Amino acid sequence: MKESSEITAEFSFEKEKIIAKSFSQRFQWEMILIGLGQAAIWLSLWPLVLNGLLDLWAGFLIASLCACFAYLPSHEAQHGNYSRGNPKLRWLDGLVGHITLVTLKFPYHILRITHMKHHAYTNDPEKDPDYANAHNTSVLQVIKNVLDGSTLQFDKYLEVFQNDKAFVNSFHQAIPIALLYKAAPLVLVVIFPFETLLLWWLPAKIGSVYTTVFFSYYPHLGTSIGRYKDTRFWAHWMPRYLNHSMQLHFIHHLHPSIGHYDEPKAIEALKPFLVSRDVPGANEIPDKVTANLLIKL
Amino acid sequence: MIFKKILNHISNWNKFWFGLIFLGSIFNEVLEKFTMLNGSYFAWVLAFGSGALIGLVAKMRGAWL
Repeated sequence: MKESSEITAEFSFEKEKIIAKSFSQRFQWEMILIGLGQAAIWLSLWPLVLNGLLDLWAGFLIASLCACFAYLPSHEAQHGNYSRGNPKLRWLDGLVGHITLVTLKFPYHILRITHMKHHAYTNDPEKDPDYANAHNTSVLQVIKNVLDGSTLQFDKYLEVFQNDKAFVNSFHQAIPIALLYKAAPLVLVVIFPFETLLLWWLPAKIGSVYTTVFFSYYPHLGTSIGRYKDTRFWAHWMPRYLNHSMQLHFIHHLHPSIGHYDEPKAIEALKPFLVSRDVPGANEIPDKVTANLLIKL
Repeated sequence: MIFKKILNHISNWNKFWFGLIFLGSIFNEVLEKFTMLNGSYFAWVLAFGSGALIGLVAKMRGAWL
């Protein structure tokens, strides 16, 4: 990475921050709609399937799609991108963050605090809660570990950050919801076995695999430690609209307050800064990212 | 104290309980719907027994897969 002294005043951090801030103002209404919408659709599948108005397999497909859309709205909430520092709107972060994660069966507080640590210690083998996902040997191994549940080492990070009161408090705050997500499928499965399997448990697994592979693994693959080094621009055969544009995840790590749907424009504006800082893959970023599928064969 | 004991039990035995209750219920429903064993005591024992066994093996291995 280039030292700060090697960066010309034209590409200074202060200037980069001013440009990034101009993309961090908009109200993220699309993400709220997606978060609450997918949760409402997922919930409505239960009466529809149980009353025979929708085939269980169709319900499974829809629930799996919902699960793939479930994480990102919570992710914006984790960064406070709905309230944007307005204390009167903090409830909106919590509301969207909690509700959208019902489909994935994850407690919002735990994901929020571990995600904050992921940003603070990206690629640190001891302190980054996403390290095991991002630095796995292959995508198949990531999938296996997610299905296995072995990537969720929450206990380990509770020990690592035992002296961080805010972390420990949030962790304990999440326990009742975590228990509810453990108990609810075990109760439901006794009454509605196939429905619980195909409307909740399996879609949640599929959504978790999707999220881990595209949000954790690909963006950090082969990267190192450092603000401009820990996340990369990447592209492969898949159009970016199918993986929530995670090819552009590096801009989120640099400026988390930029709204998800404003990232392409922000990258276009910030590209010279990214190239000057040697962000991994920055030279391959096309001039036009908006409406670009970013396919690389 | 009791809360902590419950949490410890869940974190130590969650694979077993998941196998017994979740997998057992699924296996039981499969046997009832798709075999001639529907409603029999044998099917119930087979379903929940195999679910519990899978859960126990996962607990001992420390991993499902």
